[in-house]
Formats: sequence, C-alpha cells, structure tokens
Amino acid sequence: MAPQAAEYLPILLFLGVALALSAAFVALPMIASRFTGSHKPYADKLAEYECGFPAFEDSRSQFDVRFYLVAILFIIFDLEAAFLFPWAVSLGAIGIAGWTAMMIFLAELTLGYVYAWKKGALEWE
Amino acid sequence: MGAGLGREHCRRCALPLSRQPNLKGHDRNVIQTFTFYLFATIVIASGALTILSRNPVHSVLWLILAFFNAAGLMLILGAEFIAMLLVIVYVGAVAVLFLFVVMMLDVDFAEMRAGFARYAGFGALMAVVLLAEMIFAVAAWNAGGVSVASKAAPVDPSVPNIEALGTVLFTRYLYIFEAAGLVLLVAMIGAIVLTHRTRSGLRPQNPSEQNRRRPEEATRNMNPGIGQGVEL
Repeated sequence: MAPQAAEYLPILLFLGVALALSAAFVALPMIASRFTGSHKPYADKLAEYECGFPAFEDSRSQFDVRFYLVAILFIIFDLEAAFLFPWAVSLGAIGIAGWTAMMIFLAELTLGYVYAWKKGALEWE
Repeated sequence: MGAGLGREHCRRCALPLSRQPNLKGHDRNVIQTFTFYLFATIVIASGALTILSRNPVHSVLWLILAFFNAAGLMLILGAEFIAMLLVIVYVGAVAVLFLFVVMMLDVDFAEMRAGFARYAGFGALMAVVLLAEMIFAVAAWNAGGVSVASKAAPVDPSVPNIEALGTVLFTRYLYIFEAAGLVLLVAMIGAIVLTHRTRSGLRPQNPSEQNRRRPEEATRNMNPGIGQGVEL
C-alpha cells in the first residue's frame, strides 16, 4: 500500500466525525421528543396539509431534454479539463510532441464548442 | 512495510518514515487494512443496493456512494489522480447524467417489474456468461497466460501518479488520446443534433443590445397642448 495514502487519513477521520455529528443532530431531537411529548400518531395527523391538492405525488416528473444537453456538454468539458491536469504536470517530459497533441485535442473540442455556440445549444431560451 | 523501516524515506515528501506524523509502520498497516475493508464493504453493499432498490433514483444515489468509496480504494492504492478523477467525472458528471436520464424517461416501473419473470431466464444466462468470463480472466491472469504486466508501462515509484500517467498518455498513447478527443467531439455534436430544438415565438434577452441602448433612442420629450393627448 502506498505511504501517501496515510496523509489522507485526517480527511477520513473528519468525515467520520461529521457523519457522527449529523447523525446525532437527526437522532437526538427524535429521541428527546419521544420522551418529552406525547406520541400518538394517526392517519389524519400524519397526512400532509395542503389546501386543494395532495402535496405528495410521484416525484418523477418528466424533465425537459435541455437539462440533459447541458449535462452532456458539462461532461465533455469536464473530461477536457481532466486531461489537462496530467498534461500540465508532465509537460517537461513529453516535449513538443505532447504539447502539439494537446493543442490538437483542444482545437477539436473548440470546434465542438463553436458548433454548440452557433447552434444556440448554450442558450437557455 | 514493517516496524523496522524507520530509515526508509517517504516517496512523496522526502521525510523519513519515522518522522511521519505519529504513525509507525505497523499502526499504519492496521489502519490501511481497516480502511480498505471499510471502503470495500461499502462499495459491495452499495453496489448490491444499486441493483436491488425499487426506486431508480435511489439506485443512482447508491451508485454515487459506490463511486465515492471506489475513489477511497484508489487513494489507498496511491492512485490519487484516479481517485480525484473518479469523484469529479463519475460523481460530478456521470451520476448527474444518470439522474437526468432516470427522471426523463417516461417508464412505468410497475409494468417493467411485471415483466420480470419473462426476462429472468435471459438475464440469468447473461449473468452466467459474465461470471464465466470473469473466472476465465482471473484464471488466465493467475496462470500468466496474459502478459499484461510486460505490456504495461513501467512505473517508477519516485514519480507521482499523475506525472507518470501524463508521461505515458502523451507519448505512448498519443493517438489513442487524439481519438478520445474525436470521440468527445462526436458525442458533443451528436447530443446537440439529437436534443437541441429551437423554439419559435420566443423573445430572448439580448444583453449587448440592451447595454448599447441610449436614452435618446428610448425616450421622447412631448409637449402636448392643453386637452390634447399624446399619439405614440
């Protein structure tokens, strides 16, 4: 196992503490209210109160397909940025060929970006 | 890594291991084993819940948990860049895309579940084929039939993970990298062609036109006589 992984141990401990604290904030009021108040649930009391229409229905309302397009474009440029990180770090080792390769890669995606822009895919309305 | 390796230097920070913050080799090993089993258990449990939960939105959320814990496993292996990439790309983008797809599809899931018995045989067949392939792959790997290790680029332990990855990706796998760029371009154009619709009858905001507008174009001084209206 890699030694540098141990450097991330404090983050894991912080996550554990955060999880325990948030669980306590959820659980403690429930336990306290169970002991201090009366606990007599029935159907009418548990029903949602909203005048006119039931507040709870199927949560799967259909989305507009435009959200999907935005998400796809986000993934593509996200990946482009992800490729840039190792390129920037190893730029000294890969020489001019690696630099040119990344420029071609960026040009390809810029082409797509210009296409998206001209098509109006980046505009919401 | 044993307890007697105090002189050995940390690969990353050039500090002797004995001067690493209050963790001796043995303790660290125990902690790493513990975290490995923690992450691995959560990955397997959330993976199982991904396919078992009835609500597809819950499935996607379980999948996100599995991605996070897989990133933790990568961190333990020392593949920090892969771990961060897993969080950025899979949790940040792919899982969101899955959620959108789940929300967008107009599928009656009760009806789909009713067809379970019809597809159970076919699904079981596919599961058996996949399981057999996995067993063959592991057996071949163990038997040394596949010389993947000799084909893989050698890893220098003194070089950070991300730098080694970049060095290999932009020299040896240069054409594959360019092909990945083309695939991304095709995906972008395909998504736009398939999903982009221009709507008619919209009056979109044009900020540059709004900013260029001057008071003399927008207002007019009128001086109507008494009892007379203004004609616009």
